[in-house]
Amino acid sequence: MMTSDVIIIGAGIIGNACAYYLAKKGYKVTVLEKSDIIGNGGSSRNGGGVRQSGRDPRELPLAMYGIENLWPNLSEELGYDVEYHKKGNLRLGKTEAHLKTLKKLADSASACGLDVRMIDGDEVRQINPYLSKEVIGASWCPTDGHANPLKATLAYYMAARRLGATFITGEDVKCIKKIRGKARQVITQTDTYEGDYIVLAAGMASRAIAGTVGIDIPMVQKLIEALVTEAEPKMFEQMLGTAEADFYGHQTDHGSFVIGGSTGFELYKKDNGTPMNYSDTVPCICRGIIRYIPMLKDAKIVRAWAGWSDNMKDGVPVIDTVSEVPGLVLACGFTGHGFGIAPGVGTVVSQLIAGEEPVCDISGLKYDRFYAKDIKTA
Amino acid sequence: MSELSNRSKDIGEFVPMPDDDMIVCRCEEVTKGEIRKAVHEGLWTIAEIRRYLRCGMGLCQGQTCAKLVKGIVARELKCSPALLEPATSRAPMRPTEMHVFADETEETDL
Amino acid sequence: MKIERFDLIIVGAGPSGLSAAIEAAKRGMKVVVFDENARPGGQLFKQIHKFFGSKEHKAKIRGFHIGEQLLQEARDAGVKVELNATVVGLYQDREVVVRMGEEVHHFKGDAVIIATGASENMVLFDGWNLPGVMGAGAAQTLMNLYGVKPGEKVLMLGSGNVGLVVSFQLLQAGCDVVALVDAAPKIGGYGVHAAKVARTGVPFYLSHTIKKVEGTDHVTGVTIAQVDNHFQFIEGTEKHFDVDTVCVAVGLSPMSQLLKMAGCEMEDNPKRGGQVPIIDDYGKTSVPGIFSAGDVSGIEEASSAMIEGRMAGVAAAEYLGFMTADEKKTELDKLSTSLESLRQGMFAPKNRGKNITETEEGIPISTNLLSKGFVADDEIERYPGVIHKAGIHPVIECTQNIPCNPCQDACNQGCISIGDNITALPISVKDSKCINCGMCVASCPGQAIFLVDEDTGDGKASITLPYEFLPLPEVGAKGKALSRKGEPVCDAEVVKVRSSKAFDNTSLLTISVPKEYAMKARFFKAE
Repeated sequence: MMTSDVIIIGAGIIGNACAYYLAKKGYKVTVLEKSDIIGNGGSSRNGGGVRQSGRDPRELPLAMYGIENLWPNLSEELGYDVEYHKKGNLRLGKTEAHLKTLKKLADSASACGLDVRMIDGDEVRQINPYLSKEVIGASWCPTDGHANPLKATLAYYMAARRLGATFITGEDVKCIKKIRGKARQVITQTDTYEGDYIVLAAGMASRAIAGTVGIDIPMVQKLIEALVTEAEPKMFEQMLGTAEADFYGHQTDHGSFVIGGSTGFELYKKDNGTPMNYSDTVPCICRGIIRYIPMLKDAKIVRAWAGWSDNMKDGVPVIDTVSEVPGLVLACGFTGHGFGIAPGVGTVVSQLIAGEEPVCDISGLKYDRFYAKDIKTA
Repeated sequence: MSELSNRSKDIGEFVPMPDDDMIVCRCEEVTKGEIRKAVHEGLWTIAEIRRYLRCGMGLCQGQTCAKLVKGIVARELKCSPALLEPATSRAPMRPTEMHVFADETEETDL
Repeated sequence: MKIERFDLIIVGAGPSGLSAAIEAAKRGMKVVVFDENARPGGQLFKQIHKFFGSKEHKAKIRGFHIGEQLLQEARDAGVKVELNATVVGLYQDREVVVRMGEEVHHFKGDAVIIATGASENMVLFDGWNLPGVMGAGAAQTLMNLYGVKPGEKVLMLGSGNVGLVVSFQLLQAGCDVVALVDAAPKIGGYGVHAAKVARTGVPFYLSHTIKKVEGTDHVTGVTIAQVDNHFQFIEGTEKHFDVDTVCVAVGLSPMSQLLKMAGCEMEDNPKRGGQVPIIDDYGKTSVPGIFSAGDVSGIEEASSAMIEGRMAGVAAAEYLGFMTADEKKTELDKLSTSLESLRQGMFAPKNRGKNITETEEGIPISTNLLSKGFVADDEIERYPGVIHKAGIHPVIECTQNIPCNPCQDACNQGCISIGDNITALPISVKDSKCINCGMCVASCPGQAIFLVDEDTGDGKASITLPYEFLPLPEVGAKGKALSRKGEPVCDAEVVKVRSSKAFDNTSLLTISVPKEYAMKARFFKAE
């Protein structure tokens, strides 16, 4: 049996960031990963958005804190280039109805102190001249941006490992075991690990694991698909999204475009043991992109992929200690937008364990916020 | 669980070699030295090496370099190449233009 | 989006894919074969040499003719062969997405056979990515499909059958093959393939490999050096060659990505060449309705791929109820026997990596053949194809057990005997009467048969040898006879040149040499 101060379940970017900030605080950390590969879930399959706009006010503080304080220095801090660019996010609209949707989102973010505003089609094309005339307006958040999720996820891992964190792959966690009323042991298919704290950051698998200590986290899985093109000449640096949610993405440092999108069937998909693309998704995303950026029609797609996201009932994650299970910290249910807030999440989780006041307000992300629809809560 | 599960296992220090500058992945211009170094930074699977360095992620999708990269990583880890799971196969099998993908409604005369 | 349906979708119109299609279509299945290339036949259309095997394996027929036969057979059976059709992916529920022209199309098959073949391996050496370094298969494509000479002066790395066959074809195309190099201590391919290259004068460097390919924007030279038992270079053994092309023939890897994508259970199997699907004896994968055949499930010869394809086609037909289990069993038993007969002899998959020192007959293998590419003068006499007698008779320099017997079928005079075991070494029968028809010389895929008359009077001997080079020397042409090693040994004069449809483009050159060279002269070089 291996004993540590903290056991983290899940070596995605959340688990790796938690490991890094905890190791930095001097904790002895062990990270258990079910897959043989570090960062094999949503962490290496997302579109790389580091944005605040479009977020629920309950997780906005985490996003804003990260973008002000963590992302700008992350490459230096970790010692690996995570390709972070803070060049803004355009959320595009093609109809009046789109603009209405965008304005509502922008207004609620503004109310939280975020610099985001509506701009018209001409101003959109001043920022990004490649966008077609079909775009009649957008919300514009100049402090949003993007990073390379593959590199950021592995950078947190490599930096945490350098600080002495132990990572064990191929460890399938079966249950968490309480010892004298406190979460203390993590039982895997082959071994038992013991720690004063257990951080559960295992994406969809978190639900079953939390269930072993009597906690249910209401999430469902959703298949998210994305694609990457060959390298193209440098075109623009903003992150793009649309009101219609027909695509989102950006151009990477490498020159390739990483683009995600949907067909509308995301909640109703199956897999063959590994998340795989549906044959109609890439065509659907391509049609979307071409309408917004006609110049990309000849760009060659070299690869597409899919991943399961852990979608919460109300669209925001659970980041919380659990009063019924002392020692357990939950960091899951990121609903497909956890990448951009991962540095903030790692920071606050390390603070929760250290008994410090979190650097930003996470009071809206409690695990016990779910009630039947006829029960009104504050 | 395999002999490569515990990422704290000592695989020795990175030792520079005279052919570290040799390009292994032509599409993405990744060198042997970069691959060997990444292994010593803790990237012990083909998937991690690919995601970090992009080798095998270019136009040919690793058709030429996949075996070569595998051999280099295995030697660095002092393990059998068979222990290293090859990268996931992902569509499209050949690079395909967006406008071609976008056009999927016509019937063939087959 | 419309999904079009077929009973069976086959990916790859090579030897295995076409064979599978024929078997399935014969049973009444609606079959389509997709291939990304502009021409069908896969590797067959690059194979200009005659195939080994027995009659049922289409032995002594040139590869591209086998391709034409298969294609005709497929069309006759009602198979649709769709070319320039690139399969983009194999999705869930046996959905195949295909790029055709500037569109993609969606197909579903009740069964799918993946027969995508293999791609060439590379090795790393300084300069490996310079233009002019290419796979031997790529060189073959340039020459035999596009009629383009890959270069003028070529060094070949790799002595397996691909390296040997392509070296010969490079010579046929008019290239100068400066050396054939392999890091292994022994030649990997058939001895007869090596011998026909060696006798033209190409030197073999075993236990050598490439140290450096020189050039700035294209290949201008190559340096090889000897390696020790641990494949480390031995100082001071470097040899330099001025070349413009380096061909690499270091094995093939299955192109099994579609199977992996579809969720088939895979394994890393070095004996099969890399990542391959886990299949039963007839190509059934772990995913119901998905089968595989040919190199994609394990690297072998095209002859085996054709039988594997037929097996997968039969298995798919039975899976969908187009034949009964009993019918399937009868068919598969027949095909298994045929496949098993190909998988015999020294080069059988089961013997890979084994150190074989004796033939099945108990005759020591020529060590010179394995290390230098030719059988030495003092070794050749021990094989049963090599006899001495008065008058013209076949001398069969076939010294390894390979499954091949066209020579026996070619001779209706009973001069050549192999027997029922097709891997047995051919025997030149002493009490028989050779009528000098030349059929055996032309039929031997290894070009290992010579008609020798050790004494034609006036102190001369005559040797009839297979000749597949242009220009064809004319009667009366004078030149040098070359030894098995490719060294000029004596003056020679062409006394007869025979070409005939029955010889299928192998010409028979009869040269006259001083009689003491009857058992030494094996090639002719005009002056």
